[in-house]
Amino acid sequence: MIALPAVLLFLVIAIYPLVSSIGTSLYDQSLLRPDRTFVGFDNYTAIFGEFMARLGTTLTFATLATIFPVLLGVALAVLLNARMRGRNILRGTLMLPWLLPGVVVSFLWAWIFNDSYGVLNHLLTMVGLPEVSLLGNPTGAMAAVVIAKTWHSFPWIMVVALSVLQTLPAEQLEAATIDGATRSQRFRYISFPHIVGPVALVATLEFIYNFGNFDTIFVMTGGGPGDSTTTLAVSLYQLAFGSYELGKASAMGVLWLILLAIISSAYLLLNRRLEKR
Amino acid sequence: MSHGRDIGEAIIRPRLSIPGRIGLILLALFGLLPVYWLTSTAFMKKEAVFALDRPLFPVDPTLENFVGFFQNDALLQNLANSFIVSTGTAVLSVLVGGIMAYSLSKFRYSGRNAIMFMFLIGQLIPGALLLISLYLMLSSAGLLYTYTALIISFTTFTLPLVVFLLKGIIDGIPDDILEAAKVDGLSRIKTMFQIVFPLIVPGLITAAMFAFMRGWSDLLFALTLAGPDKQTLPAGLTQAFIREGTADWPALMAASLITSLPLAIIFILLQRYFVSGLASGAVKG
Repeated sequence: MIALPAVLLFLVIAIYPLVSSIGTSLYDQSLLRPDRTFVGFDNYTAIFGEFMARLGTTLTFATLATIFPVLLGVALAVLLNARMRGRNILRGTLMLPWLLPGVVVSFLWAWIFNDSYGVLNHLLTMVGLPEVSLLGNPTGAMAAVVIAKTWHSFPWIMVVALSVLQTLPAEQLEAATIDGATRSQRFRYISFPHIVGPVALVATLEFIYNFGNFDTIFVMTGGGPGDSTTTLAVSLYQLAFGSYELGKASAMGVLWLILLAIISSAYLLLNRRLEKR
Repeated sequence: MSHGRDIGEAIIRPRLSIPGRIGLILLALFGLLPVYWLTSTAFMKKEAVFALDRPLFPVDPTLENFVGFFQNDALLQNLANSFIVSTGTAVLSVLVGGIMAYSLSKFRYSGRNAIMFMFLIGQLIPGALLLISLYLMLSSAGLLYTYTALIISFTTFTLPLVVFLLKGIIDGIPDDILEAAKVDGLSRIKTMFQIVFPLIVPGLITAAMFAFMRGWSDLLFALTLAGPDKQTLPAGLTQAFIREGTADWPALMAASLITSLPLAIIFILLQRYFVSGLASGAVKG
């Protein structure tokens, strides 16, 4: 079989690590010591509370950082679908945020939100509003990372939504207009059902990616202030490479993996049931 | 006839109302002002940024931030590392992914669907979940802190994408051509390298560039598997940023622009493929 080397590489690099972390999670293992001791499920009991707390933070971030880009992307797609001059140029330049690496996006927004010299506070002072210290307080920090992530991913949604809008059934819309359907009726009964499927799909993907997001949060807040923006990805990194607790970090990874498996099988099951109908 | 088309066009693409225009302007400003701020800061003097009467545009534009970048040995090393690792990722991804795609496209065997499914799911697994085992594996193989370590781990991420992209293209090659090659006595490997790959060169280049971009942008693996010497630009900049805090935003913005430039160039070259790739949801940065 000609593809065997490729499959093997993928198995070794992507699937084996997932399985082997189950092994690591049962040991007291640290990056600082060569030896390791078997501790059974101790790591799990030790980190379970933390896992649940990080899960909450992760869900908050992933949900918000999905809703806003979807709203923004779809709104822009609808507006950019209109007839106007400069439409293509605007569409092209609005792709720029998506092009930047995550790290650059994070630096940029950290700079915009900077307490003392950031342009946001500069503008707020100019119009006579009080300065804000977003990255300095828990709610503000969450808002800041959500805004940065929203800015980074709305172009993707925008492009998908635009390409769907371009495939709207013209004849149906025309026929409906001739039959006297209002603009909102046309949207509700023809355009909306047409758009909702593809947008739901990209929203799902966006949520999955956000759930595992590392760079935006790690660079902008490092998980802080306190642990207000510490998501599972950041927490796992800190446990493994900050406190060198490989065993505990693996336990957290395994819990995460179980959760992922449950969610994806529920999704597949639901999908299958919907398809049958 | 053309009149009817105009009506259709007007229904599908109505002109924007005044509130619609205002909405568009506001949303576009949210999208574009940060890009302006990134660029203009990169051309500002450090003193101007910290002055009391900070300007909103580079009053006295300077190239010193870019010059500073190219005079900094550590950053230059990071830049070189980024090129080496991303190029390696592109080459390995296309080679392995190309073979894989050819096999999935033109051969029928059991487990074929399982492999496709595995790749699909593999694309959704967050990097953080693989991190520790990957670290331990590479460490016991003696590969930790090498270019190879980074190239192999990035390829994990790029492979599913490359395979799906190339499979779609190879599907379009008529079986007759491959049959003819078989009749001429070409082995499967030779058919692949002498017939299939030359036919899909544009696809191979597109796939390579996608893989390059993915490797270029990664932070997590570079931070943990590269060590101090082999670090790519995103990881090097992040560590400096977190270690020293930032006294010099214009320099950081200039470095950020330099980090983004190769991706912008690739984007311009591949624009056409991007939009269709993005639209099918296959590509995500």
